[in-house]
Amino acid sequence: MYFVLTALRAGPLHGHAISKSIKELSAGRVRPSVGTLYGILERLNERGVITVDREETVNGRNRRYFRITDEGQALVEAEARRMQEAASLVLRPSST
Amino acid sequence: MTVVPQGSTLERRYRALLRAYPRAYRTAHGDELLDVLLESADPGRTVPVPREAWGLLAGGVRSRVVHLATGSPWKDGLHLGVTALAALHLAALLPYAGTLPLWTAASALALVAVLRGWAWAAIPLTLVVGMKAVAIAGGRQFFDLTLLPVYPSPLGDQALFADSNPYVVAGGYAVMLAGLGVLAARGRPLRARSWWWCAAVVAAAWSGPQWMAEDSTFALSLSRMAVEAAAFGLAAGAGYLARDYRWALAAGIYLVVASGDLAAHSAELTRQHLAYWGVLAVLALWTASAPFRQRRHCLD
Repeated sequence: MYFVLTALRAGPLHGHAISKSIKELSAGRVRPSVGTLYGILERLNERGVITVDREETVNGRNRRYFRITDEGQALVEAEARRMQEAASLVLRPSST
Repeated sequence: MTVVPQGSTLERRYRALLRAYPRAYRTAHGDELLDVLLESADPGRTVPVPREAWGLLAGGVRSRVVHLATGSPWKDGLHLGVTALAALHLAALLPYAGTLPLWTAASALALVAVLRGWAWAAIPLTLVVGMKAVAIAGGRQFFDLTLLPVYPSPLGDQALFADSNPYVVAGGYAVMLAGLGVLAARGRPLRARSWWWCAAVVAAAWSGPQWMAEDSTFALSLSRMAVEAAAFGLAAGAGYLARDYRWALAAGIYLVVASGDLAAHSAELTRQHLAYWGVLAVLALWTASAPFRQRRHCLD
């Protein structure tokens, strides 16, 4: 979920581009299957965190481009701050 | 970008896996998923990647559950509970179809009516079959002359309702009729249900394999318990995934009716009976609590 929203911060993307972006952002550690990725996209779409920006037909097949909403932007930023605070508990310089 | 020729072996195999998704979703987005799958595929690959195959199956199941969790939860849950009771009642009569063909056929028609969502049609069928069943359980005659006790076919090994109390049989049919009455009174069309219920009836009707001692009162078959445990497990999983209480309502209705026979034999119950009831009760409780579990993130 976090990587999907982070990938979409760069602009509207279709499923395959989101998948490639997630791999790059996570340095290959996160590689969701297509079934998992679309499950996440459908649920984010239902909750209004992302929306369908436009649809195109490529090779006779429909392709949806997803865009992050303002709510999604706020959500991913809040999650990033939460993780940063959690990381700082471990990574901050020792006072001794 | 990988170019996989249209109509390739890999495409056919991915299309087969996409059948895990509901038809409506496949029609709307199946080609889009296929496009991504084929673009991600290594050149020359003909067999789906196991990780992708598993992702499609899991995604399809989740999508089916989410599609089922639409409409009024209480009405759909009540319909599901009534369907399970119709299946239970037919499973009780099925081993005796040779002796009671008319009543078994009427019970089967009641199940078909419930499966198709025709509550009004199911009410008279359930009423007459229920009256006949209560009469047989009480050693009385109703409508036609029936030689009692009713001995079974290869599916069963004891007389019909030999271990059943007529009040418990009446209670089971009364709960089903009450549910049908509420559904019919609402007037709105009900969802058509899967024909897989018919397969569950046959499995539940079989009295084997033997699990309890032959001389134990109200012996339950392993096949019936397996069907019930599987159905309750599916209900628990669906309630968990969809955060919806319709499956809990159905499981609760069925458990109340199934507990009737056990309560009637409370003095003779074995540990196996208690284990059976315990498994169903725990799964029903889990189904009821799953929709209210704490959310871990915005997608949970």
